[in-house]
Amino acid sequence: MNQSSESTTKSVFEGEDTIIKVRDLHTYFYTDLGISRALNGVNLEIPRGKVMGVVGESGCGKSVTALSIMRMVAKPGKIVQGDITFFRKDKKKNDAIEEINLTKLEGMGPEMRSIRGAQMSMIFQEPMTSLNPSYTIGDQIMEAIILHQNVDKVEAERRAVEILDGVGMANPSLIVKRYPHELSGGMRQRAMISLALSCTPAVLFADEPTTALDVTTEAQILDLMRDLQKRIDMSIVFITHNLGVVAQMCDYVTVMYLGRVVEQATIDDTFYNPMHPYTSSLLRSIPHVGSHQKDRLKPIRGVVPDPYSKVKGCPFHPRCDKAMRGLCDVKVPGLTVVGKSHTVRCFLHSDVEEESTYVQ
Amino acid sequence: MSNELASINRDELLLEVKDLKKHFPIRKGVIRRSTGLVKAVDGVNLYVKKGETLGLVGESGCGKTTTGRTIIRLLDPTDGEIHFNDPKIGWVDLAKMERKDLMQVRPHMQIIFQDPFSSLDPRMTVQRIVSEPLMINKLATGSELQDRVAELLRTVGMRPEYMSRYPHAFSGGQRQRIGIARALALNPKLIICDEPVSALDVSIQAQVLNLLEDLQQDLDLTYIFVAHDLSVVEHISDRVAVMYVGRLVELASTENLYYSPKHPYTEALMAAVPKPDPRKRDRPIKLPGEVASPANPPSGCYFHPRCRYAKDICSKETPPLKEVAPEHFAACHFAGELKLRGVLA
Ligand SMILES: Nc1ncnc2c1ncn2[C@@H]1O[C@H](COP(=O)(O)OP(=O)(O)OP(=O)(O)O)[C@@H](O)[C@H]1O
Ligand SMILES: Nc1ncnc2c1ncn2[C@@H]1O[C@H](COP(=O)(O)OP(=O)(O)OP(=O)(O)O)[C@@H](O)[C@H]1O
Ligand code: SF4
Ligand code: SF4
Ligand SMILES: [Mg+2]
Ligand SMILES: [Mg+2]
Repeated sequence: MNQSSESTTKSVFEGEDTIIKVRDLHTYFYTDLGISRALNGVNLEIPRGKVMGVVGESGCGKSVTALSIMRMVAKPGKIVQGDITFFRKDKKKNDAIEEINLTKLEGMGPEMRSIRGAQMSMIFQEPMTSLNPSYTIGDQIMEAIILHQNVDKVEAERRAVEILDGVGMANPSLIVKRYPHELSGGMRQRAMISLALSCTPAVLFADEPTTALDVTTEAQILDLMRDLQKRIDMSIVFITHNLGVVAQMCDYVTVMYLGRVVEQATIDDTFYNPMHPYTSSLLRSIPHVGSHQKDRLKPIRGVVPDPYSKVKGCPFHPRCDKAMRGLCDVKVPGLTVVGKSHTVRCFLHSDVEEESTYVQ
Repeated sequence: MSNELASINRDELLLEVKDLKKHFPIRKGVIRRSTGLVKAVDGVNLYVKKGETLGLVGESGCGKTTTGRTIIRLLDPTDGEIHFNDPKIGWVDLAKMERKDLMQVRPHMQIIFQDPFSSLDPRMTVQRIVSEPLMINKLATGSELQDRVAELLRTVGMRPEYMSRYPHAFSGGQRQRIGIARALALNPKLIICDEPVSALDVSIQAQVLNLLEDLQQDLDLTYIFVAHDLSVVEHISDRVAVMYVGRLVELASTENLYYSPKHPYTEALMAAVPKPDPRKRDRPIKLPGEVASPANPPSGCYFHPRCRYAKDICSKETPPLKEVAPEHFAACHFAGELKLRGVLA
């Protein structure tokens, strides 16, 4: 694919600036059972300084998308095709934009490591995957600060306490001396957010950061993330399957199905003018709290095909109520712009076809 | 609470729980000496009407599961009464029943668990899993047993041909259906649904919720539905009970509880529910501190260290659960006076 025509950061989202652009990304896992095609041609844009939700049923590739961009996909997984462009803004050079193709970098090489530390970070669903049980919370945050910000220990500790305070942790100067297992679930989640934010990343991938928490704690952490996001102007990629959380948190939404992006739109369009049948079906399948309605839920029929199989035609056609015989089961729709800040991959809205979808 | 219940016809009730307590000893050291008590359930009062769904909500560790399990005597209560309106023998107090007498009543009460991946024995076929309760109670054998299992599987929307397979061959939603089929085997009256859809994907969740609603209609079932997803609870419940540190703080019809709550904790919960509507954005009510520990609860109203309406009396006196409007119960000294906000409509 020729990238030269796409070297501007102009976004499909009107008035936005793109910070990361993903083109035709294929990430596969080579397992004993066969090839699991986790990502099958993902195309998406992440707007700078905004919150973008990524939704879709379990296994659709949300986490693998984030891990691929962060270049953290481990064996037996591999990025087999596609481009990930990071439009890095250099504050020291008058906000000049530098274009970096992350797929060309070595995943564990020095450049990618430095990007991961300084400009991108990730919050995982389970806090213990990123907190080290044998170091205090303070030591872990200070280490991250010293690594990337060239300050001494005293200053690093001062900043660590400040960050913990900023995430609403009570008694931050005591908490820095605690070990992860001495904290409750909600406190650990706050500690992990502090760790992820210690380098003031340009992009934060938050993978189900509140799914394991109670609603009251969840609401408080979401509130906090929103405040921080505005304050330091970062982009957040918010992965979740809770559409309520998406509605409350996000500016834009990316809907994924079976390793592909099927729709990208503003938050309002996603809920009030969804164009992909999968997006509408997802919305109909959940109870809408606060609507006074007790209508019967409308589940999406069938199940997600397993990622080892190859579905012919539109990947959603076996479950789609609007599928057109002879078209949807034969040809693959391509992701096309269908309106202001709105792209969708469905023959109801465009006859653009996509050529190859599976890399051999 | 029983006095306030005078207005309700007891024939309409299936269950009435009074001052139920379940305390677990905290054991420390090599000789496992008891060093204190976790008051997991510490004075729960509630009633359940025949054929209804009572939602039971509250934060992790507040005692929902322990309440459910104690009600059906999977756990022995520390104290309190569990009155069950048995279809054959009438009202009995399960809390006082001997194990052998319980055998008669227990089949009327079943439980469905949260985790469809660990609640089914991986070494048993579906046939075995579903038929086990029938075999234990010697209710069917041979081809009759086969037929009953096939019927149960059809009831939950599964093909009887799958009978000889093992649980790992099924998806999460299918496994939950198998768990439901097993729970239905003995024609129960009451089913405790303990987070039955929490582990499932949204679309599968909708299938299982619809199934539970259909079964309730067709088989005249009564549910106690434990969940922390307040959207799901609003959808499925006729009435809802809110728990906080081992006690009920509010009990009301779903409509009243969601739209005109009477307890400050319920108000905070409602403000926190993420509404799936970007045009209705809401900010949470600040709850300082953490949920109190059931091993060491605060004095007076357990919610007082976090409550923004707390006054002096709140740290001194425990507010009882009282009826503040018809069939609307709240445990707050100021339940009648406070103007509280419900879930945004
Ligand atoms: N290490 C691995 N080995 C094999 N397959 C994998 C591996 N990691 C992910 N996959 C596969 O890739 C696909 C996408 O997985 P991913 O974790 O991105 O899904 P997800 O959308 O994040 O789902 P969830 O909502 O359950 O977290 C899945 O089918 C999964 O089985
Ligand atoms: N067998 C036990 N021994 C000791 N403590 C217990 C036992 N079972 C539960 N507890 C404690 O009792 C309290 C209530 O637990 P329970 O499982 O009933 O809560 P829950 O409301 O169902 O929580 P969740 O939403 O996390 O499922 C918790 O503090 C728990 O640690
Ligand atoms: S392309 Fe066809 S099958 Fe696919 S979502 Fe659109 S209408 Fe449905
Ligand atoms: S009794 Fe007092 S502390 Fe408890 S909920 Fe009511 S106002 Fe708040
Ligand atoms: Mg994931
Ligand atoms: Mg529980």
